[in-house]
Amino acid sequence: MKSFEAILKECEGLAFDLNFARAKKWKAEDKKRILVGYLPIYVPREIIHAANGLPVGIMGAGDRKQIIKGDAYYQSYICHLPRGIIEMALDKNLDDFDGFMFPAICDCVRNLSGMFKLSKKGKFQRYFDYPQNFDVLIGGTFYIQEMEKILEDMQAVNGVKVTPEAINKAIKLYNTNRRLIEEIYNIRQQYPWRLSAVETYHILRAGITIPVEEHNEMLEQVVEHIQRERGEPMDNIRVVVTGSFCEQPPIGLIKSIEMAGCYIVEDDFMLGSRQIQGDINDNSKNPLEALADAYIHQSTFTSCFYDVENPRGKRLVKLAKERNADGIIFSAASFCDPALLDRPQMQQECDAAGIPHINFQYHENTGQFKVIKEQAGTFSDSIKLWA
Amino acid sequence: MKQSFNTMGIDVGSNFIKLVLMDYSDKPKLVDKQTEKIRKRNPTQVADEMIQTMLTKHKLKYEDIAYLASTGEGDLVKRKRGHFYGMTTHAKGANFFFPDARTVVDMGALYVRAVKISGDARVEDYKMTGQCASGSGQFVENISRYLGLSIEEVGEVSLSAKNPEISSGICAVLAETDVINMVSRGITTPDIIKGIHLSIANRIIKLMSSLKGESPIILTGGMALNKGMLQAIEEQLKETGKKFEIKTHPDAGYAGAIGAALWGGFRHIKLKEKKAVAA
Repeated sequence: MKSFEAILKECEGLAFDLNFARAKKWKAEDKKRILVGYLPIYVPREIIHAANGLPVGIMGAGDRKQIIKGDAYYQSYICHLPRGIIEMALDKNLDDFDGFMFPAICDCVRNLSGMFKLSKKGKFQRYFDYPQNFDVLIGGTFYIQEMEKILEDMQAVNGVKVTPEAINKAIKLYNTNRRLIEEIYNIRQQYPWRLSAVETYHILRAGITIPVEEHNEMLEQVVEHIQRERGEPMDNIRVVVTGSFCEQPPIGLIKSIEMAGCYIVEDDFMLGSRQIQGDINDNSKNPLEALADAYIHQSTFTSCFYDVENPRGKRLVKLAKERNADGIIFSAASFCDPALLDRPQMQQECDAAGIPHINFQYHENTGQFKVIKEQAGTFSDSIKLWA
Repeated sequence: MKQSFNTMGIDVGSNFIKLVLMDYSDKPKLVDKQTEKIRKRNPTQVADEMIQTMLTKHKLKYEDIAYLASTGEGDLVKRKRGHFYGMTTHAKGANFFFPDARTVVDMGALYVRAVKISGDARVEDYKMTGQCASGSGQFVENISRYLGLSIEEVGEVSLSAKNPEISSGICAVLAETDVINMVSRGITTPDIIKGIHLSIANRIIKLMSSLKGESPIILTGGMALNKGMLQAIEEQLKETGKKFEIKTHPDAGYAGAIGAALWGGFRHIKLKEKKAVAA
C-alpha cells in the first residue's frame, strides 16, 4: 500500500494535469481505446467505459493557464470556464481526445460545443441534453435516446458495439466508485480534520482523469488511511459549500474557507462523481433503462436540473441538517447564471430553516482571497460566539 | 463561574507576533505576554518557539492550556484549538481593557480599522482604510527607517515637532515622495514625522466619523502605543471639532492576542457544556 502522502501527491498531480498525460498513456496502450472528454457536471460515464473508452472530466484550466485566445471567443460577461477550455483545445491540450460531451449546463457550454465543432476538435462533439421532465416515461425515454446517440458516436470511432453485459460491468465499477467516495464523505462528516477539503478535492478530481478501476483502488486506500487518526480536531464550524458545481473554485479559495475556521463537510465541487446517489441496478437486461431510472430517481439536486416536484432549496436545507452543518456558504462562479439565479430562492429556504449563510463569487483563476477569508472568518466567529 | 483555567492567545501580524497567557475565570487575568519581531523567519516556526518558551517559563505543558487561540494570520499556528478573526478579537481585547468600550480603532501594520461594538464585545459595524498602506503602521516604520529612527523613537521625536509638514494621506508612494522633498527642503525630522502622524490621524478621524463611532474610543494595535500618534489624533480632533473620548492601554498592542485568549476561554466552556449535554 502506498503512503498516504504519496497518494495525495499523485492525486494533486493528476487533478491539475491539463495535458491529461495519464489518460493519453492509457489510450496509447490499445488501438481500440478512445478518450471522451466531458464537461461538468454529469455524464453517464458507464456507457463510455462500456465502449472501451475512458471518460475524462475537463473541469477547466483553473488558475494554471493564461487565457489569450479564449477571450476572443467569449464576451467579458461570460464565466471563465468555457474560455479556459477553448484555450486548452486551441493549445492542443486535448488533441488525443476522440470526442467531447457537453452536458446541458447553460448556454455558454452549449455554445462551446459549437466552437469545438467549428474548430474540428475530436471526431464527435455531442451536446448532451438532460431531461427536465422527471417522469420516467417521458424524461427517462428522452435520456435513453440521448445516451444512444453517444453510443453511436463512439461506435463510429472504434467500432465497438456495446453490449448490456459491458454496461452492467461498468455500472458495477462506478457503483463501487460512488460508494467509496460517499464513504470518504461520511468519515469526513465525523472526523473532518482527517482529510482536508482540498485533499478530498484532489482525490475526486484525479479520479475523473484515470480509469475507474485505478481510482477505486486509490479510494480504497484513502478510506483505509482515514479510518485511522490523522491531524488534530479544531474548534471549527461545519459548513456546506454550494454553487460551485460547474466552474471549479480555485484551490486557494477552498483553502481560505478552511483556514478561516470552517470544516467543509459537504460541497458540490466535483458533483458529477456524486450526481447519482446510491447504487444503480447492475444486473438489468436493459442497462440504459437502469441508468435513466437512476438519473430520474437518484440524482442529487443542482441548478441545472429543473425538478419541480423536488425543490432544490428544501433539498439543500435537508442536506445541511443531515450533515449537521452550522451554516451554508453560497459560493458561485461569477456570471454563473444557473447558480446565481437559484441563490435567492435557496437563501430564502435557509432563512426559513434558521440556517445562517453567506455568499461570494469567484473565477476559477481568482488569485486574491483576503476578502473571502474575512467573510468566512467573520461567519465562523459569528456562529461560534453568538449562535 | 468557579472554574479557572489557562488559555493562550497568539496574534500573528505581518511584522510582529504577540503571545499572551491568561488565567481565564469570571475575572480573567493577563498572566504573561511576549512580542517577537518576525524579521525574515518562518512565522509558523517563530510562533511555535514563542509558545514553547512561554510554556517552559510557566512550567506548563501544551495539555495544560485549555484553549490555544490564534488570530491575525494565526491560521499558520500549529496545534491551535481555534482561530478567531482579527476584528472579533480586537473587540474583545478592547472590552477587556475598558468594559465601557463602544468603538475600537485597530491600528495595525497594514491597515486601520474602526469597529463599533456592543457592551458584550459583539462587532456591530466596521470601516477600514482603503487599499493604500499610507495609513498604516508599516508605512510609519518605513519612513522612520529612511529617516534613521527606530520605531520606538518615532513617538517621542514627533512630540518635539514645531512646524509639522503634512504629507499625502492617500497614497504611500506619494507620501514617500513628499518625505523625500521635505528632506531636501531641510524640514526637520520631528516635523516630518509629526506631519505623517497628522495625516494618518486625519484618516482615522474620518473613519470614526463615517462609522458614527461612539465614545469611548479605544485604540488598539501596535500604533496605539505611539505617543506622537496619540497626540496627533487629539490635535486633529480639536481642529475638526469632533468630540470623541479617546482611550488607550499600555497593553493595547496585545489586544488581538488577549481577545483571542478570552474568546478561547469562552469557547472552552461552551464546548464543555455541549459535550455534557450530548453525554
